[in-house]
Amino acid sequence: MALRQIVVFAGTAKGACLFHSDESRREWGMAGPHLSGWEVYSLAAVLRPETGRVRLLAGTSHMAYGPSIRVSDDWGDTWHQMLASPRYAGDAYGQGSSVKRIWQIVPGHPSEPDTFYAGVEDAGLFASRDGGTTWHLVEGLSDHCSRREWLAGKSGFGLHSILIDPADRRRLWVGVQGGGVFRTVDGGDSWVACAAGLPAAGSTVDRCVLKLALDPRHPGVLYLRHRQGVFRSTDGGESWTVFGQGLPGAFGFPLCVTHAGDAFTVPLESEGERYMTDGRLCLYRRREDGAAWEPLGRGLPEYPSYVSVLRDSLAVDTLDPPGVYFGTTAGELFFSADAGETWQALPGKLPRITTVKTWVESK
Amino acid sequence: MDASSGNVSIKVCVPSLLRDCAGNQTHFSLEACTLDEAIQVLLETYPLLRFHLYDEADRLRQHVLMYYNDQNISWLERLDVPLRPGDELRVLQNVSGG
Repeated sequence: MALRQIVVFAGTAKGACLFHSDESRREWGMAGPHLSGWEVYSLAAVLRPETGRVRLLAGTSHMAYGPSIRVSDDWGDTWHQMLASPRYAGDAYGQGSSVKRIWQIVPGHPSEPDTFYAGVEDAGLFASRDGGTTWHLVEGLSDHCSRREWLAGKSGFGLHSILIDPADRRRLWVGVQGGGVFRTVDGGDSWVACAAGLPAAGSTVDRCVLKLALDPRHPGVLYLRHRQGVFRSTDGGESWTVFGQGLPGAFGFPLCVTHAGDAFTVPLESEGERYMTDGRLCLYRRREDGAAWEPLGRGLPEYPSYVSVLRDSLAVDTLDPPGVYFGTTAGELFFSADAGETWQALPGKLPRITTVKTWVESK
Repeated sequence: MDASSGNVSIKVCVPSLLRDCAGNQTHFSLEACTLDEAIQVLLETYPLLRFHLYDEADRLRQHVLMYYNDQNISWLERLDVPLRPGDELRVLQNVSGG
């Protein structure tokens, strides 16, 4: 039986690289850098049923020339830039809103293979219904009554998380830096804020939501990385409870959940010192039935590592046992093929890693 | 020069990062009568360039520079400057660091 292929995508401050292996994840090859010179802040890959080929979408940006979405149907050898990339109309939503970066690109529900969503800075949600060619603003979210209270922080004002209920294509959650968590059950026409139980409870807006993740087996179970720790919801975001037992500190950005229900995060020293705790490479895992987060690091370099892992630079795959991958701001990429027990480095050293995504060939 | 239309051929240079927005080239020529018209021809011929050079409010992006010969066009009082053969329109980025 042929082994399934896996590809790990690493977007960086200067282009993107692809690492490919089979499901054993023992030997890796690298392709790239692609899109050299462009910051690649978001990536997505999805099999296109009509062509049988995998389409890659990259959210590219440059400090002078702005952002756009580029598409490749040949694993990055050639890219086509989308003229109708996400863009606000004129001075929509006041304060001169403009799309500065594309923070997140997510394929739509499997029943909607032509749909993609993009989360952008300045914070907003865009959707494409034609495979990424044209994009339109999801106005229901931007029209939310709290929009004027969203606060643009210095590190960016982006929509960083987009979750789609695998069991219901019309139920989505988004996380907004400076704005909070919002849920729709009608495909994006209307949204409600989900702040009950968070530190800013009582207010619609909780400005300290840093990342969201969903348990793929139980779509009502959500995890949330907050400036003040990790929270969990078991009721689709209606309420949140503290879920940080065992972590060395409250601060950190990345958060992922495997198909086995294990959650992973990367704590940082503090809000002021945004490097890994004690200057050592270390992740934390919370087993689905675990009472606390546990540190993981067997196989990771033990030299001092005063580096960070950005919020989109931690990813899992869908293999068994699940693989876990993270990229650092120093351009190193590490992986575990056994759900975090042991770790290895992927070959090479890249620019600052801004996003890590995986794609696994279907059975 | 196209004597019948009054158009003049000028050189255009765009950064290599924007090569894929300009027909996969960085140096090319275009014909127009005035600088203003040359910019319009450039953006109409290569609409992806407009996307990267201008923001949502149709302002030149903050760190993009367009030079007409040795002059930043934002310094010019008017853009209906008659073109001369051999004139150059150059797109630059105002970015430093390293």
